Amino acid sequence: MTSTVAAPSRAASATRGDGWRTAARGLGQLLITAGVVILLFVAYELWFTGYYTEQQQHQLTNQIQQQWQGSGPDISSLAPDKVPLGSGVAVLYIPRFGRHYHFVVVEGTGFNDLQKGPGHYPGTALPGQVGNFAVAGHRTTYLHPFNKIATLRDHDVIVLETKTRWLTYTIENVPGTNIPWREIVAPTDVAVAYPVPDQPDAAKAPTRKLLTFTSCHPEYSARERYVIHAVLTESLPKSAGTFPTALLTPPPK
Amino acid sequence: MYVWIWRRLPGGVPGKLLGSLVLLAGVLALLFFLVFPWAETRLPLNDVTIDHPARTSSSTSPTPSPSGP
Repeated sequence: MTSTVAAPSRAASATRGDGWRTAARGLGQLLITAGVVILLFVAYELWFTGYYTEQQQHQLTNQIQQQWQGSGPDISSLAPDKVPLGSGVAVLYIPRFGRHYHFVVVEGTGFNDLQKGPGHYPGTALPGQVGNFAVAGHRTTYLHPFNKIATLRDHDVIVLETKTRWLTYTIENVPGTNIPWREIVAPTDVAVAYPVPDQPDAAKAPTRKLLTFTSCHPEYSARERYVIHAVLTESLPKSAGTFPTALLTPPPK
Repeated sequence: MYVWIWRRLPGGVPGKLLGSLVLLAGVLALLFFLVFPWAETRLPLNDVTIDHPARTSSSTSPTPSPSGP
């Protein structure tokens, strides 16, 4: 009751100070909110994006299984650029990354393709073909298929499963060239994915069956690219019911 | 800002709490399903491919000449 009397005079004297206080409080809250939103974005990138990839991998697995059971040709007999973008190319196993590690490699390296899993550079060789089967994958975010790429070592194996074959690639220096099994290159260095890496000369026809991985480097950065090269060392028909020994024995410590 | 919203929410303290949670969920959904997916395409955080400088982050990738046979 007394407040109704006192209110006008107090309000008049305090308006200016209150205005500044409200503005300062508003600004403070805004800055805290911005900080929280940025932290949420980091959480989204690192963990939440994985749920999408998991879902997509589940779908791709079903699709590729159906494809394998169908009467279509094996992917290795197709022309390298005849695979529809976004479809499954092969199933990838890397024993160094753990017994349960497997991803369906998707065709395409666009942003949307790589959200689904590791992506095959269109136009490069398909699994088991002469040339270079080049694959890009996330090192962080989107289930980070190549998160542990830096733990791969010389002579580690990479296994691909296609409709009819188990293909084992062994990480090693690219034979016939002076390209090491592991490179860190500029993001513009497309030569690492050439049929014969670093040989732009088209006349130099490839003779070997290679595999190349690219991912970002350093981890959490996009400043450079981490590159791994491997050579096809074993090709087993699936019909024989045999598995590549690399999948049955753990990699050497 | 938050004080202003709190004052405006109806239904006493329980109602205000419930209203706050609903608002918070709405804002989070907006961020996670619209704002963040849009923002990440504009940030170079996810570049893992090698590409020609003129064509970075496009859907095309290096197309080294097709391999032999």
